[in-house]
Amino acid sequence: MRVLVVLLLLLSGCSIAGGATDGDRTTVTFRLWDEQVAKAYEESFAAFEQRNTGIDVTVQLVPWADYWTKLPADIAAGTAADIFWTNTSNYGLYADSGHLLPITDGQRSGWTRSVVDLYTRGGTLWGVPQLWDSIALFYNKELVEQAGVDPATLTWNPSGNGDTFLPAARKLTVDRAGKSADQSDFNPGTISRYGFNASFDSQAVGWNFVGSNGGTWQNGDAFDYADQPKTVEAIQYVVDLINKHHVAPSAADTNTNGDKTLQLFTQGRLALFQSGPYHLKNVQEGAKFRWGLAPLLTGPSGRVGVVHGVAAVASAKTPHREATEKVLSWIGSADGARPIAAGGFAFPGVVAAEPDFTEYWRQQGVDVTPFRDAANGVTFPAPVGPRVQAGATAAQPILQQMFLGRLPVPDGLRQAQAAANKAIEP
Amino acid sequence: MGSRGFPVRRTLTGYAFLAPSLLGVIGFLLVPVLVVIGISLHRWDLVSPARWVGLDNYAALLDDLAFWQSLLITGMFVALVVPAQVVLGLLTAVLLDRRLPGSVVFRTVFVLPWISAPLALGVVWRWIFDPSDGALNAFTGVRVEWLSDPDLALPAVVVATVWQHVGYVALFFLAGLAGIPAQFPEAARIDGANAGQVFRRITLPLLRPTMFFVVVTGLLTTFQTFDTVYAMTQGGPAGATDVIASLIYREAFTNFRMGRAAAMSVVLLLLLITVTVAQQLYFRKRTTYEVS
Repeated sequence: MRVLVVLLLLLSGCSIAGGATDGDRTTVTFRLWDEQVAKAYEESFAAFEQRNTGIDVTVQLVPWADYWTKLPADIAAGTAADIFWTNTSNYGLYADSGHLLPITDGQRSGWTRSVVDLYTRGGTLWGVPQLWDSIALFYNKELVEQAGVDPATLTWNPSGNGDTFLPAARKLTVDRAGKSADQSDFNPGTISRYGFNASFDSQAVGWNFVGSNGGTWQNGDAFDYADQPKTVEAIQYVVDLINKHHVAPSAADTNTNGDKTLQLFTQGRLALFQSGPYHLKNVQEGAKFRWGLAPLLTGPSGRVGVVHGVAAVASAKTPHREATEKVLSWIGSADGARPIAAGGFAFPGVVAAEPDFTEYWRQQGVDVTPFRDAANGVTFPAPVGPRVQAGATAAQPILQQMFLGRLPVPDGLRQAQAAANKAIEP
Repeated sequence: MGSRGFPVRRTLTGYAFLAPSLLGVIGFLLVPVLVVIGISLHRWDLVSPARWVGLDNYAALLDDLAFWQSLLITGMFVALVVPAQVVLGLLTAVLLDRRLPGSVVFRTVFVLPWISAPLALGVVWRWIFDPSDGALNAFTGVRVEWLSDPDLALPAVVVATVWQHVGYVALFFLAGLAGIPAQFPEAARIDGANAGQVFRRITLPLLRPTMFFVVVTGLLTTFQTFDTVYAMTQGGPAGATDVIASLIYREAFTNFRMGRAAAMSVVLLLLLITVTVAQQLYFRKRTTYEVS
């Protein structure tokens, strides 16, 4: 019984051991899920070790697919790393159960404000911001020029008043015969190129529409969206883009394949791709055409985008708190954060290192200002709570049916919300 | 079998030889089962201390709709997969047993899916069933949303699973067929039996031990299918392929309700023991012919 074996392994704590003290040298372990960024950390910690000869920092890489199952198992077994990466949906569980060290670092005024807010719970800051993502619009320059669309000025409106986005998306969607979606003989059954990546991707698509329409998603830790008219209206608009207006790929293609829209964009089969800086390198490597970045679409309430951040948190059970806090302080400094920014991996959590990131991409011919503007504007909070991940998982199959058009939006949201709130009960 | 010498010592020697596999059985089977039973009596989210709750987790399963739904889906899945793979496996074995040219090559080809990683195969099948760029829809020219349609997703996963198992089943039937002495069917033919009669009256009854093995192992593995489902649908759409192992995994590692997940595992274990015992009784009642 595979499940039994997994449970046993988990109990016997067969996992990478935490840090150790060897003579007068202390080893602090640091865990993350991103292979690319791990290289930047290696560089950063090499500089740290030169300044702090008594401390070694070991970087542990645990792939994303195993990260959130391995982490609680290691914490239960007492073998978690001294410092580890976390996202907003997962840290609440550890903060609430007393597994994290509170962050009291004096450098916090130099950290990205929105990420500090995301990791503040019960009045205490629990993590040192490491990187952040906001949302903007990647566009295929050749396609928008052909269609005569200016991606920087697009506005959507569920009432249809002043909606310049939908006509543009229809112009950009083309079937195999070369007819665009605004022509009468367009065949939605044979679309070869899509206008926009409307899909069940809450961070890059759904929540930005909700926020830009003045809607909300959570109330405290509870999910509260099904009875918010603005929220329902916004999600209806997104679903209609797929099933009614046919300007986005079918949810059957995108529901279970999170990379589908990225692939379509880099293949030149998607004109407007709303996404985050986490896709900059993929697009840069994959796209064989000229592309650019425009601000997030404007909604009735303006541009309200999701800002999500990754933070480094420290285990409260670390046997060498002093060394751990020194490392935390280093990765919260501009010098410590610089390798992440200068390598173009992500916007750093330390504001003073940000120009390095912007500069990396400027040299690649990409202006990343739209991401920065989105983060500095009004933002939509990424969901939080100790069991928010369980809630999202419970809602997922229902929301997927809704995106497929098999469930009407109001019903889908109501059922999803009920399932999610049941799942977040401890 | 004389009992002279030292019976105690002999017994100990016997156990000493058994020790390696015994340790395996205890360490990897018995202990985990006991641990899971222990966990099922607690409320535990991995990061907070476990709390004793007695049989609460089992009581909660009684009115857990998702659990019953999942058992039902697992039952349907097993009912579709096992007969299909046994019939197709037998058919394949009979054809391979004809020793037609290329039999050896085909024998290897049929077993390939069994020795490949189910997770990788699941990813390949997901691509085959992909609605827009998938091989199947490209081949037929009709757009069918195989894995997003709640009515089609389970049959699609069944096809992938049967395809993976058939070669393995055929291998056992092939061994079973090889164990039937040639004079039995020959004698029957001399007595005037036609090919169909020989198969029904001679071959099938003599294959009964193989049949028992193939059906039991087929049921046990199919009941616990996880990887193929995880790779192809993750239990979706709308829970249409949410087999019990998939539900247990989610309950444990996404919802962090270890106690509940363990209780489900225990129920599954009891269910499998019941099914196996029932089968054993059923097959025991029928005569098996010792051929040696």
